[in-house]
Amino acid sequence: MTAAVSTGGVKPAKRGRGFLAPTILPGFGTAFGFTLFYLCLIVLIPLGHMVLVSAGVGWTRFWAITLAPRVLHAFYISFGCAFVAALVNAVFGLIVAWVLVRYRFPGRRIIDAMVDLPFALPTSVAGIALTAIYAPNGWVGAFAKAAGFKIAFTPLGIIIALVFVGLPFIVRTVEPVLQDLDAEVEEAAASLGATRWQTFSKVLLPAILPALLTGIALAFARGVGEYGSVIFIAGNIPAVSEIVPLLIVARLEQYDYAGATIIATAMLGLSFLLLLAINFLQRWTRSRHAR
Amino acid sequence: MAIEIRNVEKTFGAFTALGGVSLDVRSGELLALLGPSGSGKTTLLRIIAGLDHADAGEVSFDGQDTRDRAARDRQVGFVFQHYALFRHMTVFDNVAFGLRVKRKAERPAEMDIRRRVGQLLDMVQLSHLATRYPSQLSGGQRQRVALARALAIEPKVLLLDEPFGALDAKVRKDLRKWLRHLHDDMNITSIFVTHDQEEALELADRVVVMNHGQIIQVGTPTEVYDTPADSFVFDFLGGVNRLNGIVDKGVARLDGHPVRVDGEVGPEGPALIYVRPHQVELGVAPADGVPEGKWSARVSMVHAAGPVARVELDLSGRALEAQLSRDRLSDLALQVGSWCTVDFRHARVFPARA
Ligand SMILES: Nc1ncnc2c1ncn2[C@@H]1O[C@H](COP(=O)(O)OP(=O)(O)OP(=O)(O)O)[C@@H](O)[C@H]1O
Ligand SMILES: [Mg+2]
Repeated sequence: MTAAVSTGGVKPAKRGRGFLAPTILPGFGTAFGFTLFYLCLIVLIPLGHMVLVSAGVGWTRFWAITLAPRVLHAFYISFGCAFVAALVNAVFGLIVAWVLVRYRFPGRRIIDAMVDLPFALPTSVAGIALTAIYAPNGWVGAFAKAAGFKIAFTPLGIIIALVFVGLPFIVRTVEPVLQDLDAEVEEAAASLGATRWQTFSKVLLPAILPALLTGIALAFARGVGEYGSVIFIAGNIPAVSEIVPLLIVARLEQYDYAGATIIATAMLGLSFLLLLAINFLQRWTRSRHAR
Repeated sequence: MAIEIRNVEKTFGAFTALGGVSLDVRSGELLALLGPSGSGKTTLLRIIAGLDHADAGEVSFDGQDTRDRAARDRQVGFVFQHYALFRHMTVFDNVAFGLRVKRKAERPAEMDIRRRVGQLLDMVQLSHLATRYPSQLSGGQRQRVALARALAIEPKVLLLDEPFGALDAKVRKDLRKWLRHLHDDMNITSIFVTHDQEEALELADRVVVMNHGQIIQVGTPTEVYDTPADSFVFDFLGGVNRLNGIVDKGVARLDGHPVRVDGEVGPEGPALIYVRPHQVELGVAPADGVPEGKWSARVSMVHAAGPVARVELDLSGRALEAQLSRDRLSDLALQVGSWCTVDFRHARVFPARA
């Protein structure tokens, strides 16, 4: 689980410093060497090995497996649901963060603690809890059934699960930046004639956008990789509500190691590309701040 | 625009920040709100701007009650104590903000906005920094951006909360003069908050002295300086000597000698005699005792830097400060340890508090 939540907007941009130029901070060489070694051990070697294995299978087989309709649909569900959930969280997480920062009310601490629950809870617990409520015989599920649609065992159920696990990422990244924003800035906007909406869209949102994007990226990444909370509520119906991680596990259970590895590699590549894209987006918004 | 403030009250919980404040601000004047920290200056300013609501009382602009006018409709330019610039916008965009958020019908064309912002930046002498972000400016430059931003909407009233608070002495002095000119050129009603008495006395047409959420005195700088309403104002408006004396049969006395007093002597009994350092008259002590009706003191320190010399004296155990010209100082040939006579040109007497 990601414990180190970086807070987009508040970090001052580093001044350019030539690589390996003399610096006042001691031990750069050692620390840098350690960082490289550590990253290799933890991240690069296992992932690299996976890529190698799937490369050994050959391109034709690679494409045949990844472009199979069931696999494609699973990708679509995994990334699509994670994306929608991240956007939903962007809106409501922002409101939650806003309320927590700007208002003092009884029970604030409890709500504050509740936000972190999805971090701390084993995801399978979340999955069971959500399924119990949203299944057709559950509290909310029964209402939905009466209204003529299903929540659990559909992509909608997956989105709900991912909203649940993604919420703290948005709240915790946006919160410090909101705290940092002076209420006086909003008052200044008002005294200059801005409406509430103008104040929000022209003053607040641009100021928190980098942090919000970081939060969205984290929630999205978490959503793409989420397994525990989703498998219960999703029902895992092939080509309807099946996510990629589940597909990989299914292949493994059938002893199809090569197939599992190939899907995993494709997942890795896609995730990496997306994170890279989001990173560039963040850079761009942050550079407009020119702190 | 004239502003009338009637019995405005504001409490925060059990704490009274403003206890029934009434004030008339004349159209076109530059008014200073002067008072110690926590006296309610910012609170009053925020209520005028519509950023806070009074619990009781009313504020009207040119006779019109402002109760139902939101901050955005008041046409009040507010310069915040800590500038409150939009840090994700350039200097230019900060200044243009007030024009760009106007309703479609009133919003100037982009070209006019550019011209107007250009003029404002020229006026505050920041044209060359238009593309910078607030974090890339010095304190004084941020201050001027905040001012230009407030002026962009052509406000009828300009409110400045400690506009020079965070700046060093030299920049303060420059900006002070500059603000005075600006105010005169723009034909605007301005109120600025300060807890620096020198700034208030030098810059303002009239000074409002506040303490504990009350207005203690309103008047021109000369009035409040020369005829302070009470001991607090006397104290607050700059260096003062406070001497323990006594009022006996309508005459104030210090060490038995009568003191010439302006105004009321006040009730009989122990009293505090207030004398400003420049009202202390020093003289050469004659060899054969001290003349009638004068005190004698020993010089304990002489500060002779700048145009005015300060002399610290020991007047029978009390510390006394005197200010005199350098010429006068050399005439008297005062040195540490020498004796001189002391007299008071003007003094005020206030009852000593138990
Ligand atoms: N939002 C608030 N909640 C509670 N108390 C407040 C609030 N705003 C101001 N006060 C109190 O009201 C009093 C007056 O505050 P105000 O900000 O008007 O003082 P000031 O004269 O501007 O002081 P300074 O020179 O330090 O800025 C202070 O004692 C302050 O603690
Ligand atoms: Mg204040």
